[in-house]
Amino acid sequence: MQSHRIKSVLALAVLAAVMLIVVACGTPAAQPPVVQTVVVEKVQTSAPVIQTTVVEKVQTSAPVVQTVVVQATAVPAKAPEAFVFGAQGEPVCLDPAVITDGISGRVINQIYEGLVKFDKDTTNPVPSLAKSWTTSDDGKEWTFKLQEGVKFHDGTDFNADAVVKNFDYWANTKNSVHAKQLAAGQVFEYYEAQFGGFDENGVIQKVEAVDPTTVKFTLKEPQGPFLNNLAMFVFVFASPTALDKYGTETCKNPVGTGPYKFVEWKPNEQVVLDAFADYWDKANAPKMKRVIIRNIPNNSARLLALAAGEIHALEGMEPRDVAAIKDDPRFKLLLRPTNTTGYLAFNYNVKEFNDPKVRQAFAQAINKQAIVDALYGGTGLVAKEFQPPSLWGYNPNVEDWKYDPEAAKKLLAEAGFANGLSEVTFDGKKVPLEFWYMPVSRPYYPNPKDIATAMAADLAKAGINVSLQTVDWATYLDRRSKGELPLYMLGWTGDNGDPDNFVCYFFCLGTGDKPLSREGFANDKEVSDILKKAATTIDKAERTKLYQQAEQLIHDKVLRVFVANNQPPLALLANVEGYIPNPTGTEYFNLVEVKPAQ
Amino acid sequence: MGHYLLKRSLTLILVLLGVSLLVFGFVRLIPGDPAVVMLGERATPENIERIRAQLGLDKPVYEQYLIFISNALRGDLGTSVLRQEPVTREIIRRFPATIELAFGAMIIATLLGIPLGILSAVKRNSWFDASSMVVALTGVSMPVFWLGLMLIFLFAVTLRWLPSGARLDANTQFQPITNSVLLDSLLQGNPALFFQGVRHLILPALALGTIPMAIIARMTRSSMLEVLNQDYVRTARAKGLHERGVILRHALRNALLPVITVVGLQVGILLSGAILTETVFSWPGIGRWLVDAIYARDYPIVQGVTLTIAIIFVVINLFVDVLYTLVDPRVRLD
Repeated sequence: MQSHRIKSVLALAVLAAVMLIVVACGTPAAQPPVVQTVVVEKVQTSAPVIQTTVVEKVQTSAPVVQTVVVQATAVPAKAPEAFVFGAQGEPVCLDPAVITDGISGRVINQIYEGLVKFDKDTTNPVPSLAKSWTTSDDGKEWTFKLQEGVKFHDGTDFNADAVVKNFDYWANTKNSVHAKQLAAGQVFEYYEAQFGGFDENGVIQKVEAVDPTTVKFTLKEPQGPFLNNLAMFVFVFASPTALDKYGTETCKNPVGTGPYKFVEWKPNEQVVLDAFADYWDKANAPKMKRVIIRNIPNNSARLLALAAGEIHALEGMEPRDVAAIKDDPRFKLLLRPTNTTGYLAFNYNVKEFNDPKVRQAFAQAINKQAIVDALYGGTGLVAKEFQPPSLWGYNPNVEDWKYDPEAAKKLLAEAGFANGLSEVTFDGKKVPLEFWYMPVSRPYYPNPKDIATAMAADLAKAGINVSLQTVDWATYLDRRSKGELPLYMLGWTGDNGDPDNFVCYFFCLGTGDKPLSREGFANDKEVSDILKKAATTIDKAERTKLYQQAEQLIHDKVLRVFVANNQPPLALLANVEGYIPNPTGTEYFNLVEVKPAQ
Repeated sequence: MGHYLLKRSLTLILVLLGVSLLVFGFVRLIPGDPAVVMLGERATPENIERIRAQLGLDKPVYEQYLIFISNALRGDLGTSVLRQEPVTREIIRRFPATIELAFGAMIIATLLGIPLGILSAVKRNSWFDASSMVVALTGVSMPVFWLGLMLIFLFAVTLRWLPSGARLDANTQFQPITNSVLLDSLLQGNPALFFQGVRHLILPALALGTIPMAIIARMTRSSMLEVLNQDYVRTARAKGLHERGVILRHALRNALLPVITVVGLQVGILLSGAILTETVFSWPGIGRWLVDAIYARDYPIVQGVTLTIAIIFVVINLFVDVLYTLVDPRVRLD
């Protein structure tokens, strides 16, 4: 009896072993046959494929599935039909109204379009579904003329009513879908942030369809960044029919007017998009039949997938890998124009930080150039002000504080700390000076711990002794927004390419000119007033002047230490053409073409 | 036996209640509020309050636990914070990928580990013994993360024999039935899909299976060595049986008993190793989902997945105990 059982166990084991061997034999060493299963039409991979032999067709419960075995024999190379992008993570949702994350944004960029969009490589708004526009003299009325003959992927016509309907969905809390989204726990975060709130609280008071191809916006007060806001990847239009049909399920069922239409989203695997045959903008029609955005969470594994030819492009690299990619002829290295600034922020509830001399000592003690050279993998730039140089409010005339530990020491002595600074008065208590760094890599600080260590060493040379501290990311953000961190590293990546989004978010005082705990109680009314004025000015030349003036003041008063701008690297296979990095990360895959491999 | 199973099932319920309490408590001890994480750097206090109320986080903790446990007993593990998806449905959808990976790793671990252990014991103190035990020791000490990347570099980039990760090629689409690629491809009679699935499984299974393989090999070796010194083995040899018969029929059967326990315990290692393996190999299972959920403070997912893993662990332990009686007639369960 027992031996029978053992025998059957052994038999099973042998069976499994045989299966494994069979399987192993089924994967020959060199040039395996390319096996693929495709929906409806045959799609070829990047491997050289010539002869197509249909070995079998299998009808399954899903009638569209058929199996095609493509056998690869000798060359000539054929261009791949799909562009495969390696993303760092999973999209949160494909309904642009309720997202803020760039990974969802990348997919949404290909499916949807708005009135205006960012130009290919800058943050300047250019026409998209709006052909042209006019502004009233007081800046409160905007009239957009729409493209004609545009259709959504589901066949619905795009017109002024569709625009009105989308704005109603975003801005009107009584809109049935909006209300359902709120009940489901969604947040219309970007609409609230960019347009000042919902219903009558919002800047946009009225959106009207004048005729099928004309839309008129009425604003409560002029908004400087209005066009830049409209160009963001979240203010793009969903098919009204689809919105009614899917409601809160729009996340999984995106229908727009863009060059690529949604096919499927396999969680934690990939999102597949196909070229939209009726795309209106023939000059910018998609060059590839299909776009696949694969989720590969590990930086090293993603780069290896590129080296293996399984993906064509990727984002997110370890700084040490950047240099290696640069000199390798198999790859192209692109740097996204910088839209991000890493800084060291003072909490003004620390008594000592209210002395400008102490702050200036910090600014002169840190050797930014050395940090950028050693720790940014060649993609960093020294920051001397808050806005990155790609923004039009950037002030080229600001002269950075010079790195000079001796000068820093002297400043400290003048401020009454001749023996250096290692203890501070925080919320009325004497405590050791803590220096907080983030636990996660962000575009502005690719390796925060190393950067923090370098800064702490620099500060020590000037007599400032800090204790380095960190905590998990969620807690870090939480404590920072409550104003609990005395001295901390953080940064900002621009949302809409407008200077307001950088400087005002941090240096505009809250309602009633109250300093914000979120920003370490930064409290400078002079700067805040200039920024608030710029936010409601429409004239760009006038605004530029105001932002440059504000940057000069922020520098002179050393309200913060700005450390570095980063240009996030992208790696592509050498045969990928037409990938144009945009500062906001809004990149247009319809321009991308994968040429035959060499 | 029936009595025993009943008794064990009752303890199982107590264990699971304990686990649910621990998990529920621990996720709430991790600092950081799910609403803050979800809303990110732009969170407004009003939105944080609204989301907290939405998630029931404004209620007293014991009330939250009672809601959680009463729903869990009905099979409802709640709705995820970030994507508002039913957790039970998502576990069912994502679990087959992890099972496939763990199963593949277990096959590799036992099929390589047991023969390696037997051979080492039989050829004790030979160069084979020494080198295979060095391999085993290396296997136990090697981080799955590093090993995974090395395997990808060698087999996917340099040799291009196998894909670097994911369950299927990017161009492949298929309509899942159970969400196990291997099972579904067989159900759909699609051998091409099956082999593609296997090709994708080999590297992650190898990475995940290495530590259990090393443990099993070492256990088999020591257990085998002990058995080979027993009187009945000497008797078998004295009877004139040839060596192969002695080892496979007399020694191995007895030597395997402790190995079975070790194999059972590896399930825990496999499930925890799956978290790393799934990240390196972009494998869409519950391990990676759990990691993402911990970072996002997505309490319902963390609770649901941990509870599921605990159930599996406890059930497999029970299964191993029962299996023991089948293999060893001396063991009685009552």
